[in-house]
Amino acid sequence: MTDTAVHPHAARPDGTKPPGRQGRGVTQGAGSGSPLLRLFGRRLLMTIPLLLAISVLVFVLLEMMPGDPARNQAGMDASEEQVEAVRQRMGLDRPAPERYFGWLFGLFRGDLGQSSVSGQPVADMIADRAPVTLELVVLAFVVSLGIAIPVALMAARKPGGLFDRATMVVAMTMLAVPNFVLAMLLVLVFAITLQMLPAIGFVPLEDGLVPNLRSVAMPVLALAVPLAAFYTRFLRGDLVEQMNSADYVDTARSKGVRPGLVLWLHAFRNSSFGLLTIVGLNIGTLVGGTVIIEQIFAMPGMGMMMLEGAMSQDVAVVQMCVFIFAAVAVLANLVVDLMYAVLDPRIRYGSH
Amino acid sequence: MSTTMTITPEPATSDGIGDKPVLRVRDLQVTFTRAGKRIRAAKGVSFNVRPGKMLAIIGESGSGKSVTVRALMGLLPPSAKVAGSADLDGQELVGLSDRKMRLVRGQEISMVFQDPARSLNPTMSVGAQIVESVRTHRTVGRKEAAERAIELLKLVRLPAPEKRFHQYPHQLSGGMRQRVMIAIALASDPKVLIADEATTALDVTTQAQIMELLVDLRERLGTAVIMISHDLGLAASYADEVLVMYAGQVVEQAETSELFANVRMPYTRALLEAIPQVSRPSHSALTVIGGHPPDPSQRIEGCPFRPRCVRATETCVTAPALLEHDAGHWYACWHPVTGDPREETES
Ligand SMILES: Nc1ncnc2c1ncn2[C@@H]1O[C@H](COP(=O)(O)OP(=O)(O)O)[C@@H](O)[C@H]1O
Ligand code: SF4
Ligand SMILES: [Mg+2]
Repeated sequence: MTDTAVHPHAARPDGTKPPGRQGRGVTQGAGSGSPLLRLFGRRLLMTIPLLLAISVLVFVLLEMMPGDPARNQAGMDASEEQVEAVRQRMGLDRPAPERYFGWLFGLFRGDLGQSSVSGQPVADMIADRAPVTLELVVLAFVVSLGIAIPVALMAARKPGGLFDRATMVVAMTMLAVPNFVLAMLLVLVFAITLQMLPAIGFVPLEDGLVPNLRSVAMPVLALAVPLAAFYTRFLRGDLVEQMNSADYVDTARSKGVRPGLVLWLHAFRNSSFGLLTIVGLNIGTLVGGTVIIEQIFAMPGMGMMMLEGAMSQDVAVVQMCVFIFAAVAVLANLVVDLMYAVLDPRIRYGSH
Repeated sequence: MSTTMTITPEPATSDGIGDKPVLRVRDLQVTFTRAGKRIRAAKGVSFNVRPGKMLAIIGESGSGKSVTVRALMGLLPPSAKVAGSADLDGQELVGLSDRKMRLVRGQEISMVFQDPARSLNPTMSVGAQIVESVRTHRTVGRKEAAERAIELLKLVRLPAPEKRFHQYPHQLSGGMRQRVMIAIALASDPKVLIADEATTALDVTTQAQIMELLVDLRERLGTAVIMISHDLGLAASYADEVLVMYAGQVVEQAETSELFANVRMPYTRALLEAIPQVSRPSHSALTVIGGHPPDPSQRIEGCPFRPRCVRATETCVTAPALLEHDAGHWYACWHPVTGDPREETES
């Protein structure tokens, strides 16, 4: 038999490609050994130069930032000598490459530098702030997928039906509303009119789960609703396409499987890979979105820390925050690729 | 109904041995409505399929073969309107509710599709897909269903069935995948098995192996097989009966030996000449039928093959009816081919 296994993501016979599943950069392992482990190693190795490049980029961008951190630190009425002294103390008199490598090697030692404003170690500040942002991001994903998956499945059951059309109208509206407008509306409804939720401020988890959840409810919703709309639209579209044109759907139907089960067991299983890709690509955007949302709701997270740092020209703080945001986006994509590899049998077992 | 007169035939029931047909299709009509246009994809198709026999439906791409069998399976999109009758062992399939059709599908009548690379779910193991088929129509435990699945894999002669059970479609060759598809189709011992271009995507050797398997299964299980192909040669080698379709209509039908001994329709003749033959001198050009099949959204006056037919005359402006001109041999043509086909081409 000369026929070979065809890559499942290859173009369909009519020349169209299944959406959302291209360009993951995951190739099937060939030959013996565990393709999964090798994939894992290769992807991890590829991440290192990427992170280095990001660190250089962040450094250069901050160099180009207007203003003089030393002057800022010393105060507006300080003399030139005083400013120079501060500059030396901050190490800003050294050449840029030296400072970059100093910063980089500091990272490897776990020394993230100090805030030039408060003198506090940046590592401690991040340890304080990161959990807030993490909670917002994780809950935003959970909520958005928790809405999108059931809604898309229901809409795809009867494409063009009442539920489907209503869903699409709502989704389009939600996509058109900017994050901060949604945040304002939420405050207006839940904090001011209904007085159900605190308008601003963060209650840490140590002070109780319910107060904590109440304090993050609105920022999470502000982040999650547009995402939910986006995921619903994508997933519903992909499901309908699978149901209309995928051959394995015909096979499932020809077995006599119920339409609901065809959708759930067959179409959704395949569409979930596309969804996973989209989610991975979104993580960077979502982390960026927290900067504004944290500001609006006075959440003491990384986004707020970065803005505060930028306002006071706290280079060490801003640099670290931007680097972490970028690194999270890169690592999130790595994690998605690996999840792909674990979940997709075509990659898990390679082909032969 | 259109002005095209078709007489409902009662084909190939003669010859004494003839078992009672398990599937009788009468005047099957499939019409799509797309962008306000009516597309008549099947215009009164009639045939019988007998248990343990293989019927080949042959015709160029677009002649309505898939639409016809999908109508039987209830697998057409909602934009399709189906009329006529299809009696499967006493049960009328046309107009059956979705719910009832689902009980028939996979249980009484099942189907193997053209492209084995796409017709299996890439995210599910081979075993899980056969088990699903087994458990859709019978309440059996997982273990029992798995045993049945292995049994089915043995039935379709897939080597190392226990190992294949746990593998995924992409780990199998095209031929193996098609065996898995046949196993899925046979899970509930259907009365009719449809193979829609099931070997078209395979290489010649694998194609022959799959055809042999189908021929063997129809004998061993008594399943009626409808085999669809654009390749008349394949029908000649494996089918018991052949039905030739053109533009949504049956244009010639007979038992395989009779049909190939006495081809009557100029269209069938043209198809026959398009088959590459080993005996043909290598320098002689392959005959390909000139022109295109008619646009199914266009109304056809007279014989649909007329624009491409070398024998067409004024008479052909009136549509010829499908009639049993010779015993068991039906065709729709005013000027049938007679005598040795090879002489005819010279003139
Ligand atoms: N879903 C559909 N909507 C409209 N027309 C269709 C549809 N499916 C098939 N057709 C038309 O029906 C005709 C017969 O198609 P088909 O049965 O697939 O041909 P084949 O003999 O190659 O299997 C073609 O002209 C095709 O364009
Ligand atoms: S009826 Fe006329 S046009 Fe049609 S196939 Fe026969 S000879 Fe040709
Ligand atoms: Mg077809």
